[in-house]
Amino acid sequence: MTVGPYITGQPSQERKRKGLSSRPRSGHNRDIVSLDVDARGLVKVFKGAVAVDHLDLAVAAGSRVGLLGPNGAGKTTTLLMLLGVIAPDAGTIEVAGQQLPHGRSRAMEKVGFVAGYLPLPENLTVREALSLFAGFAGLRRPGPVVEQAIEAFGLTDLADQRNQELSSGQRTLVSITKAVLHRPVLLVLDEPTASLDPDIAIRVRQALLDLHGRDGTTLLVTSHNMREVEKLCERVILMSRGKIVADGTPAAIATQFAVDDLEGAFLAVAAELRGGPAR
Amino acid sequence: MNRTRIAAVIRRHWLVLWRSPHRWFEIAFWPVMDVVLWGSLGLFVAQENEASRAGVPYLLAGLVLFWTLTSVQMTGSVSVMEETWTRNLLNVLTTSVKPFEYILGVSVFGLAKLALTLGSLTVTTIFLFGFDMSAIGWSVIPIVTLLILNGWAVAFVVIGLILRFGQSAEILTWGLNYVVLAISGVFFPVEALPPGLRDFAQFLPTTHAFAAARAVLDGDGVPWRRLGLSTIGTAGALAVSVWFGARMLGVFRSRGFVTRYS
Repeated sequence: MTVGPYITGQPSQERKRKGLSSRPRSGHNRDIVSLDVDARGLVKVFKGAVAVDHLDLAVAAGSRVGLLGPNGAGKTTTLLMLLGVIAPDAGTIEVAGQQLPHGRSRAMEKVGFVAGYLPLPENLTVREALSLFAGFAGLRRPGPVVEQAIEAFGLTDLADQRNQELSSGQRTLVSITKAVLHRPVLLVLDEPTASLDPDIAIRVRQALLDLHGRDGTTLLVTSHNMREVEKLCERVILMSRGKIVADGTPAAIATQFAVDDLEGAFLAVAAELRGGPAR
Repeated sequence: MNRTRIAAVIRRHWLVLWRSPHRWFEIAFWPVMDVVLWGSLGLFVAQENEASRAGVPYLLAGLVLFWTLTSVQMTGSVSVMEETWTRNLLNVLTTSVKPFEYILGVSVFGLAKLALTLGSLTVTTIFLFGFDMSAIGWSVIPIVTLLILNGWAVAFVVIGLILRFGQSAEILTWGLNYVVLAISGVFFPVEALPPGLRDFAQFLPTTHAFAAARAVLDGDGVPWRRLGLSTIGTAGALAVSVWFGARMLGVFRSRGFVTRYS
């Protein structure tokens, strides 16, 4: 795979402030940039079924990467291994400069996680939930940070509502807000816009692009919405049966599969998985 | 260890308690109902047989001490279960909070909840039965401390089983306490147990803690030997339970059981 735009991204001032500017890496052909994720030889087997099969994954600092694949391709397992929640059977993981599992807590100080399928704690107001997660992130005086975030993400009218009173779209926005309170360098998003109306999904996508533009936050996203991924990500990794089957820009992947767009490539992989021709 | 993160864990569970009226039953309803039940039973038996009058303080002191262990154990176990019930476990696991910090936060919260529970028990035993636990004196402190540590040990085992077997293990949160209740001699000397259980009970650190409390109530002074045996047993129980909990967390991570709650 040729060097894509994700390789040449320059660290922003924000990243330099956090002490995460580029540093040379030896013994690796990607040593021209800093990596927020550097996983090698990842293997995960559940009851004899291979979920992730000798996966190498490098995500450059400041890039926007989509992780795609049919159901069961190993996307979520990969993400959960990168977050230190699931232990790999083999392989090494370095996230935000920390080796997992020993450096998991320090790594998570620089990582945010959003899952579209996860609820927020019930019976808490949005402001209370944000304050709690700021505490979980180790922020000593979360008040001003939380208020800033509420304003930045347009949540002022929702701040005193309880989480269970929010719509799906509002909940996703709050989830993203709680994941970026500590200004992570890497934001991991698992199906962030699942079950959202298109207009809300656009708003969420724009919030992510704004965040990336403002802070240089690296985005690692899984989604089943191909159009969304095309708009949000500059690099796409296509997985099937726990392996990477394509890696490049959305256009390059479409070309590789001789189809018009990312959706065509996705369908080709899904068809191959089912053992039939692409529709 | 990060104090801010620990404080956030304490605040998280305090808010759950504050916003959930049914959770106050664990503090002010079930313990009080137990006092009414066992205190009344003790009084009834005492009316039938004057020689049994000494049994009332035995019952009430045993009950207060049993709730000491139960309260910290249930707070620890239910706090983790709360994260599974509300599908918040993955949210917590993907923050920088370390397992040790989470457990420490939950344990400190458990002590605050225990203070409230003991408050409601003390008021009830004084007003309904004229029994004041503090009359035992300072020697109650090491006994209470040992029972708190044993409560945490049971909680670590239950948390480990929940991590390993999922919500089906929740029944143990309540069930294991009643094993302690039945065979640790909470209300009576373990010599009254059937022969096999009597021998087994001698290996439980809680047996010696409850026996120490009864000795103090009888005015026999502080039974140092009992306290020593209980301390050794408690240290062993804590070590084994921490090892077990850590081991089950490893299995939880290795087998990807987090997906049960997401």
